[in-house]
Amino acid sequence: MTDCPHCTDERAAGAAFCESCGRPLATGAPLDVGTDCGACGSAGSVATDGYCDNCGMLAGRPRDHAEADAGPVAAAVTDRGVRHRRNEDAMWLAVRGTEVDVVVCDGVSSSADPEVASGTAAEAAGKALALETGVAAAVRAAAEAVAALAGTGDPRRAASNPACTIVAARVREGEIEYGWVGDSRAYWVPIGAERAEQLTEDDSWATHVIAMGADPQAAWNNPQAHAITAWLGADFGVVEPRTGTLRPEAPGVLVLCSDGLWNYYTEPAAFAEVVLASVRENADLVSAARALVALAVEAGGADNITVALIPIV
Amino acid sequence: MAYTAEAFQNEFLALGATEVNAIVTVTSSGAEGGRRTGASEIIIVDCSGSMQAEGRMPAARQAAKAAVGCIDDGVHFAIVAGVSTAQQLYPAPGELAVSTPETRAQAIGAIDRLQASGGTAIGAWLKLAHQLLAQRPGDIKHAILLTDGENGEYKGYLESVLQEIGGSFTCDCRGVGTNWTVPELRKVANALLGTVDIVARPEDLTASFTQMMTAAMGKTSGDVQLRIWTPVNARVRFVKQVEPQVTDLTGKRVEDGPRTGRYPLGAWGAESRDYHVCVDVPAGVAGDEMLAARVSVVEGETVLTQSLVRAVWTEDSALSTRINRQVAHYTGQAELAEAIQAGIEARKSGDDRTATVKFGRAAQLAHESGNRATEELLATVVEIEDAATGTVRLRRKVDAADEMALDTRSTKTVRVGRAQ
Repeated sequence: MTDCPHCTDERAAGAAFCESCGRPLATGAPLDVGTDCGACGSAGSVATDGYCDNCGMLAGRPRDHAEADAGPVAAAVTDRGVRHRRNEDAMWLAVRGTEVDVVVCDGVSSSADPEVASGTAAEAAGKALALETGVAAAVRAAAEAVAALAGTGDPRRAASNPACTIVAARVREGEIEYGWVGDSRAYWVPIGAERAEQLTEDDSWATHVIAMGADPQAAWNNPQAHAITAWLGADFGVVEPRTGTLRPEAPGVLVLCSDGLWNYYTEPAAFAEVVLASVRENADLVSAARALVALAVEAGGADNITVALIPIV
Repeated sequence: MAYTAEAFQNEFLALGATEVNAIVTVTSSGAEGGRRTGASEIIIVDCSGSMQAEGRMPAARQAAKAAVGCIDDGVHFAIVAGVSTAQQLYPAPGELAVSTPETRAQAIGAIDRLQASGGTAIGAWLKLAHQLLAQRPGDIKHAILLTDGENGEYKGYLESVLQEIGGSFTCDCRGVGTNWTVPELRKVANALLGTVDIVARPEDLTASFTQMMTAAMGKTSGDVQLRIWTPVNARVRFVKQVEPQVTDLTGKRVEDGPRTGRYPLGAWGAESRDYHVCVDVPAGVAGDEMLAARVSVVEGETVLTQSLVRAVWTEDSALSTRINRQVAHYTGQAELAEAIQAGIEARKSGDDRTATVKFGRAAQLAHESGNRATEELLATVVEIEDAATGTVRLRRKVDAADEMALDTRSTKTVRVGRAQ
C-alpha cells in the first residue's frame, strides 16, 4: 500500500483509504493521454490536459472510476457506469491486518448534490467505524453529517436535501457486523454455495409491498420498485439503522454493493454464481471486483456501480 | 517563460447556454536574450503637394530624421518618399541599408532633399515597402507611414494591396493635419496590425516618430500568433484584441489543422495585451465540463504559453448568472468604441438625434469604466451634462482635429480597475 499523499498519518499505512483524511489512496487508472473519449467515442483522443481533442469534454473525474486495493484482505471498485453523467456512489475501505471497515453509499439522484451526500456519508461512517463504537453508531454519524449538508454551501440544498443510502460493515476476528439504510446491499456468499445470502433487506417500495403480500414479480416490475422508503438526509428525520451480525461457519465472501450491480443479478443463485466465478477466475481481489463492475457495465450500466469484496476464511 | 497567458471567465453556464466568453491576458517579459532575429524598418513619408501647407514638410523631415536617429545599429532600413508613385529616397532603389552611424548620416542627408509635390498613392507606397522587406525573411519587419491626405488611387486598389500584403509586416500610421480620413488609415493599420493616430500639429511629429521607432526597436518577436483550438461543432464567434486598443481579429483567421485557427498578433516586445475570445459550443447537460477553447500563443511551431477556456453547465443560477468582471469591462470598452464611431458617422450625415444618443451612451460607458482619456476626448465634441446617465448635447462648433482625435483614439481602452 502507498502512503496517503494527502496526509502523512501513519495510521493510513495499510489502509486502502486514508483513515485520517478519508481520501482514496488509489483512484483507479489515471486518465492516460491517448485514451478513448467516453463522451463522443473518439479513439485515443484524450489530450494531456484531460480534455478530448475532438469534442472538448473532460475525459473523466477522479470519482468516475476509483479502486481500493487491500491485497488479499479486501478490495472495492466504484464506477460511473454508462448512463449517469457522474458517479454518485461513494465507498470507504480501511484495513488493519485482517480487520476491515467497509462502507458503500449511493446518492439519491433526485436530491441536490447527491454525490456530496454519498461522499460525506461514506467518510463519516468510515471514520466512526475506526472508533470501534459499532456499525449503528457509524450509520448515525453518517446520517448526521448528511443532514447537516442541507444548511451549508449551495442554497438549493435547503430545498432539495442531499440524500443517500448506506450499507456499512466491520469484520473483527471472523465476525461480521453490518447495518444499512436504503437499498444498498450486503451479501454473504459461501464458497461453493448455490445461493447468495442477502443480509440486508431493502428499504424500498418493492420490498415493502412484497412483505405486505404482493406478487414479487409484479412488484419488481413496477416503476416504483426502486423508490426507497428510508435514506440519510435532512428530510428523513431520525434514522434508525437496521443492523445484524454474522459469524460464518465456512469460508466465503462478504459483498457490499449498490443497486447498480445487484439489479442485474436479483436472483440469489445468479448473484452467487457471478461473484464466485469472478473471484475464481481473477488473479487478485481487485481484479475480481473490477470484473464484476465490468459485467454490470456490459449489461447496460444504467446506474453507478460499486462493489466491495471481503473474503473470510 | 518569457510569455504568460491567463484566462478570466465565468465558466458556469446555464442549461441550454452555448456562448462562452473569456478574456485572455497575454504578457511578455520581452526577455528572449535580446533580439533573436534581425529587424528591418521602412519610413514612408508622404511628399504630396499638400504637405507644403502649415509647415508640414519641414516638420516631417525633422521627424523622419529623428526616427532614423533611433534605429539601432545593424537594423536594415530604407526611406520611401510618397508621391503619385513610390520613390525610394535612401539607399539605392531596391536595396536596404544596414544601420551604422555613417548610413544614418547619409539617410539624414537624403531626407533634406525631400520636397513636396505630387499625389497620394498609399497602396503603391505600401507595395514598395513590402517588396523591400521581403528581402529579409525572418526579420521583425516594421514600417512607419505618414500621410496628410486622402488616398488618390483608383477605388479598391488600396484594399487589394492590403489583401495581398496583410500580415507580412507591421505598419504604424500617422495622419498629419485634418485632410486625411480616419477610416481609410484605420483600415491600413488594422490590416497591418499597427496603430493609427492623429498628429494634429506638425511640431508634434518628431515626438510621435521617435516614440514609434523606439517601440519598434523594443520588439523581440516578429510574428507572434494566437492559436485557438475549439471542439467539434463549436465555432469561434469572435476574437478581439481589447487592450491596449480594440482590434477585431476574427476575419484574420488562418486555418491550422482540424478545429484550429491562427490569428496574427504582430511583433511583441515587453508588453501585455488582452484578448476577448467568444466561442459558441454545443450545449451540455448539468455537470458537464467541456474545454471550449485552448488558447496558445505561438511563434512558428513553438508554443510559448497556453491557457484554457472552460464551460461547465449547471442548474445553479447563482453560479451561471455571475458575469466575469473582465468580460463585462471589455465588452463595454468594445461597445464604447462602436458608439463613438457610430456617433461620428451620424453627425457627419446630419443625423443629430442618433449622434446624441450614441455619444450619450459613449459618455456613460467611458465614465463607468474609468476611461478618462476617452471621456476627455468626448468632451471636445459634446457637452457632457451628466456622464452617469449619458446626457449630452452636441457642440455646435467642433474642431476637425478634435473630432479626428476622438475617432482615431476611440479604440483605446483601459484595463479593469486601472485609472489612466
